[in-house]
Amino acid sequence: MGRPKNLSFSLIAAIIGLMVAIQFQTVKEPEVRDTRDTWQLREDLMKEKELQSRLLLEIRSNEEKLTKYETERQQSKEEVLRETLAELKVEAGLEEMKGPGISLSIEPAFNLIVEGDNPPSVSPDLLKRLLNELNMYGAKHISVDGERVINTTVIRDINRVTKINNHSLNRFPIEVKVIAENRDTAEKLYNRMKISAVADDFFIDNLEVKVNQPVGDLVVPAYQDTIRIRYMESATSGKGGGNG
Amino acid sequence: MWLPIMGLIIGAIIGLLTDIRIPDEYANYLSIAILAALDTLFGGIRAQLQNIYDEKVFVSGFFFNIILAASLAFLGVHLGVDLYLAAVFAFGVRLFQNIAVIRRIMLTKWSTTSKRQKKN
Repeated sequence: MGRPKNLSFSLIAAIIGLMVAIQFQTVKEPEVRDTRDTWQLREDLMKEKELQSRLLLEIRSNEEKLTKYETERQQSKEEVLRETLAELKVEAGLEEMKGPGISLSIEPAFNLIVEGDNPPSVSPDLLKRLLNELNMYGAKHISVDGERVINTTVIRDINRVTKINNHSLNRFPIEVKVIAENRDTAEKLYNRMKISAVADDFFIDNLEVKVNQPVGDLVVPAYQDTIRIRYMESATSGKGGGNG
Repeated sequence: MWLPIMGLIIGAIIGLLTDIRIPDEYANYLSIAILAALDTLFGGIRAQLQNIYDEKVFVSGFFFNIILAASLAFLGVHLGVDLYLAAVFAFGVRLFQNIAVIRRIMLTKWSTTSKRQKKN
């Protein structure tokens, strides 16, 4: 056999070997028959059961850990802080509120408007007076035309347009939603607003205030913007604090 | 003599180590191709022993047979006829014949060498 002959022979033999190997791997595993007898089966079953119980144990311990962490979290200072934060958010008006209350709608009194008059507008003073009145009679959360009224809310006249929290009040009807403490206060609020003198003041400005019946679940939206705090600083530890 | 066997072993090892697999649908084609390749290989060995070996015939026969067998199987699948059986039959018969011839040649060679040794 010459050398090149041998070489091509071996190359082709290698290709055949490769093909055979691939075929073997593809068709491989001539189905393994189960030849275990009862005792072997039992043994295997035992093994599997042990594995199962071990896994169950593991799951249980993990769950225990989870509950432990949960209780720890609940009892920790962090949770207290979290709660306080939530309370403060509600108080500051950063959360949407839902509860019993009444809604007032301010509309132009068309029968009083003489043709050629300027269209009526709510003046800031009037609105402030209304809000004061509402607060006096037990309102808890108020929104004016979808704008939440919070402690730092400004109501002012900018270029003859009344603005509340930078929101212009130039579309009627303006809806004022008021949430009271509970159903009874809502009722009281309703009655008081019915006879309130504020409505007369609005009337002078050609506006009509309609007080709607109290409803059970009035929704007052959250304050949209961020609250800017300009003159407050965080207390240094040791000096500040409630009891310190 | 040993180099082709080495080649065979190396090819098999490479195939087993690389863990290449072909889809099940193509396993048929590969088996036919292997049969064709084996047929060519044994034909080559026989030709070598009969001193009528031609490298070109061998190499071209190898690839041509493989392709022919695979395409025959392919055609069979698409015609709904088990045409690959024809290839199996043809290659099988030739394989046996080749091996028988190789065996006879080997036997005669072996007997002549042993006679010579006896003479010596």
